Amino acid sequence: MSLRDDFQPKWKLLLKWGWLSFAVFILMAPTFYTVYISFNELGFGAKYYNFTFQWYENVFSDKQLIGALGWTMLLALITLPIVIPFGLLSAKLYKQSSQKVWIVFVLLSPLFVPADILASALLVFFKNLNKFFTLIGEYTGIYSLDTWFDLGIMTAVIGLIVYTLPYVFVVIMITMARYRNEQTEAARDLGASAWRAFLEIEFPQIRAGVFSACAFVVILTFNEYTRTSLLKGGFDTFTSVLISQMLNTGMSEESYAMASIVSLVAVIIVSTILIVTAIKTEELEKKTRIVKEPNK
Amino acid sequence: MVIFFVLPLLLTVVWSVFERTMFWMEPAFTLFSYENFFFSSRLENFLSSMFHSSISVVCAFFIGFPIAIFIRRRVKKVAQHRVMLLFILPFMVSEIIRIFALRPILSRNGVVNSFLMDMNLIDSPFSIFVFTPTGVVIGEIVSFLPFMIFSTFLALEAIPNYIFEVCSDLGVNRRRMFKDIFLPLAAPGLFAGSVFIFVNGIGIALIPTILGGPGSVNAGLIATQAIIALDFPLAMAVSAIMMFTLMGLLYLGHRLFNLTKLLEPIS
Repeated sequence: MSLRDDFQPKWKLLLKWGWLSFAVFILMAPTFYTVYISFNELGFGAKYYNFTFQWYENVFSDKQLIGALGWTMLLALITLPIVIPFGLLSAKLYKQSSQKVWIVFVLLSPLFVPADILASALLVFFKNLNKFFTLIGEYTGIYSLDTWFDLGIMTAVIGLIVYTLPYVFVVIMITMARYRNEQTEAARDLGASAWRAFLEIEFPQIRAGVFSACAFVVILTFNEYTRTSLLKGGFDTFTSVLISQMLNTGMSEESYAMASIVSLVAVIIVSTILIVTAIKTEELEKKTRIVKEPNK
Repeated sequence: MVIFFVLPLLLTVVWSVFERTMFWMEPAFTLFSYENFFFSSRLENFLSSMFHSSISVVCAFFIGFPIAIFIRRRVKKVAQHRVMLLFILPFMVSEIIRIFALRPILSRNGVVNSFLMDMNLIDSPFSIFVFTPTGVVIGEIVSFLPFMIFSTFLALEAIPNYIFEVCSDLGVNRRRMFKDIFLPLAAPGLFAGSVFIFVNGIGIALIPTILGGPGSVNAGLIATQAIIALDFPLAMAVSAIMMFTLMGLLYLGHRLFNLTKLLEPIS
């Protein structure tokens, strides 16, 4: 008896699918509800629903918010070219290394460390680094290093790299799992350099994972609040404006609209990646089937 | 990662024994911050947040584990990852937005109470869903459930299909299969998911801030409040305690279940 042929009443199977769909619905409900309220002219708790774009218009005419969007985008653009190569190298190192436990420990532990705890530790670390470099400056007369770790873009980017690297590592690892190293070995045997073998043989096959990781980094940067707010210094990011509005004045209709923009952009990007990946995987499987069984 | 992740966390132990000054701290050896933590209401708050996180872990287990088993056993192999990816979507929406959005859903005049009253199931709205420990538990489950499902599914994915087929051929009943196959073989994933929920439950300040009400405090909130009050040694002591809790749990988990097995299906 095969695994999928196990006898099971249809209603039980439907019940299980229902439970799974219910869990996804419950997890997404806060997002859906935020979007729903953001289009209501009368806001939360009103008896009637009048559809409007007014709150979105207000959001997009808010100069502070547009400025914050720019800063957040800048953070994402600086973080991306640093964290993606790190993620790639880490995944390759993990595949080749015999000390997998330590690599996993260092790369995945940030997932387990709560944001507030890591942000507090990094904040004090940067302040101490500054003091250390100032001290060095006093002894050597070179003062150029003592402001390196002043809270600002650089410290916020470091916080984001530590936060996003585990996600990048896992996403790239998933796509790398399908890649067979024998292909690189064959290319090297034919005289290709390691760099060329990577660029022309391996990268095209893991490209989807790398691009997905890029999208994840941008989304995570836009969503991140705790680490960035403690490490960013003087400028505002999209979530810091949103949260300060929420905490100071409660959920205004503009807050719902802002939250909806961030959520919808994230959902659309991730859904697109999932759909494109699914289609490509199916095409690849079809091609493999044709090669394996040409007569069918 | 060693410089900007491992080192700062390890140094929290050193900074936690420094002496507090007006705006910063100075090198010394004092256990005052730990005394300040262990002999005050902070310990009580910490223990109570541990209790609430444990409830969240148990709830996430009962909701998430059957889903992971269902996906592994009943969904076609090619579609399994796609179904799992459905749980990535909520993870990609900012946690803060999701937690904040729970307020209008769970509040006295929110969606849940309106629905229950419209169905004539209750006469007056419940007020236990927000600004209570129940609110914190709900917030933790909504925030962290996908991780329990991912990690458990990863562990189950490593089980070869023939094991299920042999059990099926030998007529093993569902209860025994759950007890002797799923539970022990999914243990690394269950453990990783549980540690993630437990540690983040006691460490993420925003959930009790937004959903827990005035008396709800966890380790993350204590650390954040200490930084706002410029009591850096106390913040570092809380971070060190959290780090030791996490390291202890991960070490224990690795000794018992070999957590690297979790990455086998994707490596």
